[in-house]
Amino acid sequence: MVSSISHYLNRFKDCLHIDQTIKDGVAEELYTHLEDKTQELEENGLSREEASKIAVQSLGSPELIAQQIYEAHAQGSWKEALFSALPHFLVALLFTSYYWQNIVYVSIILALTVGIAIYGWHRGKPIWLFPWLGYYLMPVVITGILLLSLPQGWGWIAALIYIPLALFVFIHIVRQTARRDWLYASLMLAPMLVTFSWFSSLGTGTELLASDWIARLQTNALGIVISFIALAGATIAFIRLKPRRHKIISLLIPPLVILLSVTMASRGNINSWGWLILLFSLFAFAIPVWMQARAYQ
Amino acid sequence: MNYGRELLKGNTDSLLLCLISRQPTYGYQIVKELEKRSNGYFQFKEGTLYPALHRLERDNLINGKWQILPNGQQRRYYYITERGQQVLANRLATWQDFSTAVKSVIQAETT
Repeated sequence: MVSSISHYLNRFKDCLHIDQTIKDGVAEELYTHLEDKTQELEENGLSREEASKIAVQSLGSPELIAQQIYEAHAQGSWKEALFSALPHFLVALLFTSYYWQNIVYVSIILALTVGIAIYGWHRGKPIWLFPWLGYYLMPVVITGILLLSLPQGWGWIAALIYIPLALFVFIHIVRQTARRDWLYASLMLAPMLVTFSWFSSLGTGTELLASDWIARLQTNALGIVISFIALAGATIAFIRLKPRRHKIISLLIPPLVILLSVTMASRGNINSWGWLILLFSLFAFAIPVWMQARAYQ
Repeated sequence: MNYGRELLKGNTDSLLLCLISRQPTYGYQIVKELEKRSNGYFQFKEGTLYPALHRLERDNLINGKWQILPNGQQRRYYYITERGQQVLANRLATWQDFSTAVKSVIQAETT
């Protein structure tokens, strides 16, 4: 039979979406509190069962404590917020001029992203890591899409080998992130959604290889810069806001507005492949937030 | 809304800092100590204690450390930091001024 204390602590842990080490620490702290109280009541003549029930009642709602503990830990500092938004600003910077066509600038930013993502992943996955991780995953996914876009033959064979591996890496990272907090998975996938909406609006497959592709991308540079600055703003809001509901709103609305604006502005340029990519990234982005919203009902 | 409860809510951080500054202590002991020192006036809601302690720790006003007792039991003891001591000193000074001012107004009213 599950004791009142174990049941209480399980409910508490289910509601708390913070770093696992901190979560275990707080649960242990509550456990020692409940044990102390139970012991005291037992010394006053109550049975173990009665004492633990009263101890649990006097601590109050586990959901409320989890929410308040979350708010104490969920708000990142301004430094963390700005560092989280930095990759979005860097991408925006690439498009403010023709920097994105310069292999040196792109390579520096890519190397920086990979380095920071790997560093953060092995340093306890701090809150600032997830947007960097999103950009780290981007080349993995884009390479798969490009392989599928190549003419039939060797490209398809390479795709057949590459895609399962890429999917394995992608799913592993998303699962690990969602285990920490579903919302972080969406925060991580937000840049992918925005990038793919622009990517799809320019066409896919052979259209991507057309000579005017670069010119078309440059024509949309201002829109791209605004999109990534908006994403940076959403990221700062997400890190700084305390209530979980506010975090969901700050995370959900800007990328969806960008997606809607880009698809509307593309005026039917998106082909079936483009829609497929967009739907995939939209689902990947929105499912964690949707799961969280359901948990509130 | 209960005025006494509102007052306690507004001063929880100062009360916690004050208790922790006297000696390193842990959650359950804080609840008991508050009740004892206030002669039962402060019936602290036990569940609100831990979020408050974690907020103070996040703001670097206190520091929590796990300690193993001789009986093998683990407890998380809280220590006040240097910053916590400064904040507490400022709050106590403000509280003294406020309390004196309120007393003066109330005494003038009743005399």
